[in-house]
Amino acid sequence: MPDLVTITIDEVEYKVPAGSLLTDAAKAAADIDIPVFCSHPKLEPLGACRMCLVEQDVRGRWMIVPACTTRVGDGMKFRYASEAATQAREDTLEFILINHPLDCPICDKGGECPLQDQTLKHGPGESEFEEIKTHKEKRYPISDLIMLDQERCIVCWRCIRYLEEWEDKPQLGLFHRGGETVIDFFPEQPVDAKTSGNIIDLCPVGALTNRVSRFRYRPWELKRTKSICTHCSQGCNVRLDARLHQLRRIVARENMAVNDEWICDKGRFFHGFVDHAERLTTPLVRDADTGELREAGWDEALGIVAERLSSIADVHGPGAVGAIGSAKLSNEAAYLLQKLMRSLVGSNNVDHKGGAAVLADPRGLSNIRDVENADVIVLMGVDLAEEQPVLDLFVRRAVRRNGAKLVIIHPRRIEDTRYGGPYVAYKPGEELSALDGLSRALLKQKPVAERAGKLGGLPELTEYLSGGQISQEVAEAARLLAGALRPIVLYGPAVVSGPGGEANRAALMNAALLAGCGDRTFYIAPEANSVGVRDVGLLPNRLPGHLDLSDASSREQMQRIWGSKTPADAGLSYDQMLAAAAEGRLKALYLVASDPAADGPAGAAAVAGADFLVVQDMFLTASAQQADVVLPAVSWAETDGTFTNLERRVQRAPKALANPHSKAAADWSILLHLARAWPVSTDEQPAKAGKSRRDGSQKGKRERADTPKQWKYASVQEVLEEIGRAFPAYAATDWASLGEHGRQWAADSVPPVARRLAVPARPARAWLDDFPFALVTGRLLFDDSTLMTKTRPASAVATVSINPGDAAAADVQAGEAVLVASPAGQLELTVRIDDAVLPGTLWIPYSQADAPVETLLSAAGDGVGTPVRLMSLQTVSEKAG
Amino acid sequence: MSKAGDFVKGAGQIAGAMGVTLKHLTKKPLTVEYPDEPAAVFPRYRGRHMLRRYDAAPGAELGLERCIGCCLCEAACPTGAILVEAAENDPADPHSPGERYAKTYEVNLLRCVFCGDCEEACPTEAVVLTQAFPVPEQDRRSFILVKDQLLEPPESNIVIRPEQ
Repeated sequence: MPDLVTITIDEVEYKVPAGSLLTDAAKAAADIDIPVFCSHPKLEPLGACRMCLVEQDVRGRWMIVPACTTRVGDGMKFRYASEAATQAREDTLEFILINHPLDCPICDKGGECPLQDQTLKHGPGESEFEEIKTHKEKRYPISDLIMLDQERCIVCWRCIRYLEEWEDKPQLGLFHRGGETVIDFFPEQPVDAKTSGNIIDLCPVGALTNRVSRFRYRPWELKRTKSICTHCSQGCNVRLDARLHQLRRIVARENMAVNDEWICDKGRFFHGFVDHAERLTTPLVRDADTGELREAGWDEALGIVAERLSSIADVHGPGAVGAIGSAKLSNEAAYLLQKLMRSLVGSNNVDHKGGAAVLADPRGLSNIRDVENADVIVLMGVDLAEEQPVLDLFVRRAVRRNGAKLVIIHPRRIEDTRYGGPYVAYKPGEELSALDGLSRALLKQKPVAERAGKLGGLPELTEYLSGGQISQEVAEAARLLAGALRPIVLYGPAVVSGPGGEANRAALMNAALLAGCGDRTFYIAPEANSVGVRDVGLLPNRLPGHLDLSDASSREQMQRIWGSKTPADAGLSYDQMLAAAAEGRLKALYLVASDPAADGPAGAAAVAGADFLVVQDMFLTASAQQADVVLPAVSWAETDGTFTNLERRVQRAPKALANPHSKAAADWSILLHLARAWPVSTDEQPAKAGKSRRDGSQKGKRERADTPKQWKYASVQEVLEEIGRAFPAYAATDWASLGEHGRQWAADSVPPVARRLAVPARPARAWLDDFPFALVTGRLLFDDSTLMTKTRPASAVATVSINPGDAAAADVQAGEAVLVASPAGQLELTVRIDDAVLPGTLWIPYSQADAPVETLLSAAGDGVGTPVRLMSLQTVSEKAG
Repeated sequence: MSKAGDFVKGAGQIAGAMGVTLKHLTKKPLTVEYPDEPAAVFPRYRGRHMLRRYDAAPGAELGLERCIGCCLCEAACPTGAILVEAAENDPADPHSPGERYAKTYEVNLLRCVFCGDCEEACPTEAVVLTQAFPVPEQDRRSFILVKDQLLEPPESNIVIRPEQ
């Protein structure tokens, strides 16, 4: 608590915190709104616009000073309402308006414009200026997403300061002088910062406007819904602005714990899929006669699904039915999907992509803003600039403002390496070596050696780590970590996925424990609800609440809630389900918001192989085109739901709009009605021998007859209440108490990952002489995933990026078509030459249109890493010829 | 009163009434055979809406639309009778001066109370209430005037009568 000082405003004394800005102090103590334009609570004070002028007593003389840069001290005297101060503000406003075009009727800011508001409140009412206004560029795009109107700009510098202070990318500047001053980008360098859209919210006039929403709304006619963004796991708070049943605009909403008041450009601009013309609006059923999908009613479609799924479960056993959800589903939809599978079908075959294959830590990140207070930040296998741009803002803030050091361990020279901290490179599959190297270097540090003595298992680890080289970068990283007071380690799903995941996590924990931050090593979940779908049990081996499926008491606990028994055997994981469906062992596949057919041959074979395929999605995806029944779902904006972000914060996403012409329904509602349509048999015959289901239960259909009674939810809120009973950590997160900013569930509701030194078991490395490159893959912010391509055109070409040295050695040019092959498959791609790609690796991002990198990834179990080779297509055709 | 008195009084009243009838027998009728004949309206009569254009530039057939799609009429309308959807002008072939024009402009005449607030709100004097009578229609949907109907109002057989 800072000291209080006494200041005088308009002859009245106030106690205010010492050193605070006069604008803030006047607001807090005296409830005086001193008008400002350039000043912003999230940006450094500048004093550019002079709108906040007040009088100050300086040694007995009253001087005009700007309030937004004046820090208060004891005994200072100010006048706000005096004639001179009022006149000064009026004159400033009149001056600002000299060249402002006053085209409010066609300005997107009109109606929510600080300049309009303050002109009404503080303006002189009329102007003395009769001269012709200066004319500048009115339609000047500074990027594909943002339009600049230079005439409207009042030169407050907010956009420039945001890009400097938060993005750390000074991409806008002031050019020329005086009345000719304009904001502009630097030649040939349009603004491409990942969170550039925030300058639209910051602009106090209509100079910077949203090109996606341009002229599509007027502020007063919007229906505003406080919601969250579901593009990534940050869970940024946004406001959805709808008009005429269409999502017209998304703006940021302040939540200091999650996103301050910033959102990334993906969250702000890429919502076109919600109102897309290709959205499914009615259930589709494959016609028995024509073999084509035809429109059907809900009763018919759900009747077919319920009848077929239950009969397949009866005939082939419940293990012949599998369901694949998605980490983009809300908690309620994911919960009902796994409940349907476990209690009605009687199978644990339920998973999502990136589910059981990833050894995720359910606790996730402690608190998002903890990142800002760290003094050393280790980024292990996670590219925040592309994957979590808003979290990256806080990392940059820590580096820029608090002098934190960044240690980056990544198979690609990611953007954040520009901060010059130690960069430890590794090839995918060699994570273990990189982490072991770090542990080895840490043991050489004196403070670490002292601390490590208290940890168990040190001799074995020292023995395991003995020998081996320590590179300069690793030594520097170890030196920083050893001397750090508040280090933090963030790692991504790539580190703990696949056959090497277990060993990598052990090695990471070794390094973290040696560095003294075992309890500050955090998993960064990728998707909007990666944390939540795990919490509610969308996994083949876990019940809601991360309860172990093999534990009988856990199953009983669920039985009390669900009224039916839960099968004890672990179900098939995502990859196993795809393989089983392709081989015909899995007869029925139920895909919810999941499109494996677009992910390469394995998914396509699974979709083709399933006897009965149900797809529940917003669009007629590649998988849906082959489905027997397609159930149209709605987006997150069109239904209530809760999502759990990477710091376990459960947040509400209420319904913001609905298309009155569409029959599409919410995922949770479809699942609910499917359960209600489930065949209820009065037949009390015991199930036939050899069809033992549900943990030795022989009661067969009789049990089922009671089950739909457990499916009575009038709303999402009631589903959330049941989740609270299944996973008590969610008991405190009922809809009402979540409020506008959500609530975190208590981290100690789940056991922590083991925090002890352990010798990691080194997995087999899939390394083949014929395949000299290591494949690096990962997510980009603006990728070509389904929702993105429905919003903007897909990139023209799918690319593979290669290091310049490797390109020269392989004799390939930029723009050349090449064949990239792995033991699992091959892809035709266009070469991009990129310094950020390490020698010996090829970078192919996920979700490139028509070139799924999953084609190259071998099925789980082949060993870690994916070796690939690259051949010029010309060479290929010559060889063939 | 006696019966004779009643009779005299009644006859007098009938004679008076017949007098009125006979008086008008020689005058022209007040009924206007609209629309075959023009209807006379007062100068400030508020009738069907119209979207105005600017004067045509030399050589051009039509002037630019005055409406810029600002939606202020929609905001001012007390009955929610107006719907405006704006869009961006193609600089090569603009609908209106500036960057913005009304892609959709609809007036629901069944909701409209002809108060003239839209006229008041319009910053470019684009929407005006003409003195024309709204045309009767057979179905509800036809009472929603779309932009083309508003830009080119049909001929209405009216004459403006002097203000009294």
